[in-house]
Amino acid sequence: MAAANENITADAIEATEFMELSRKYRVTGVPKTIVNETIEIMGGLPEKMFVRQALEMPEE
Amino acid sequence: MGLLSPQDEATLKNHLSGITIPVQLVLFTQAFGGSESGDVAKQILNEVASLNDKITVVEKNFVLDTEDKAKYKIDKAPAIVILSDGTDTRMRMYGAPTGYEFVGLVEAIIVAGTAVIDLDPETMKWLQAVDKPTHIQVFSTPT
Repeated sequence: MAAANENITADAIEATEFMELSRKYRVTGVPKTIVNETIEIMGGLPEKMFVRQALEMPEE
Repeated sequence: MGLLSPQDEATLKNHLSGITIPVQLVLFTQAFGGSESGDVAKQILNEVASLNDKITVVEKNFVLDTEDKAKYKIDKAPAIVILSDGTDTRMRMYGAPTGYEFVGLVEAIIVAGTAVIDLDPETMKWLQAVDKPTHIQVFSTPT
């Protein structure tokens, strides 16, 4: 996603290594995605569903 | 002994063979107070880089290389910044890229080295329309 647009930054974080950060974002299961500190996406989703949620696009 | 088996190396080499653009993997590690994962990350990156001469590893010190740290906005280590011909792809990996994270590393290297993004055209359209800073953090574990 980051490669598609220069406004996007994507971090892959190893949760057990950065426990403080994992606690901050209440990572109790993986994968868990946080977008702009506010949007939380639990688990792995199909591509389009994931991007729609990440970008806060309305449901189809 | 390497972390990758000879069979894994052969498969990976084949995966990386489409790379035409030089890829730099900038690794930030901490010499003091760091964890062993920095060494593991270094070994993994070096093994991957040995499979394709377009891939190079650049080591930085998280404590001492403050200019680079600021440039790439790195706030924790180990961190891997993926550059495509010197240009920041804005893809980062934090922690040793083992297990499932390794797949993500390889995919990121291929995107940086081919400039091909394997996403649905409609998804690409949505992503290209993003006009404000968007920070995505994906948490995972090695297994």
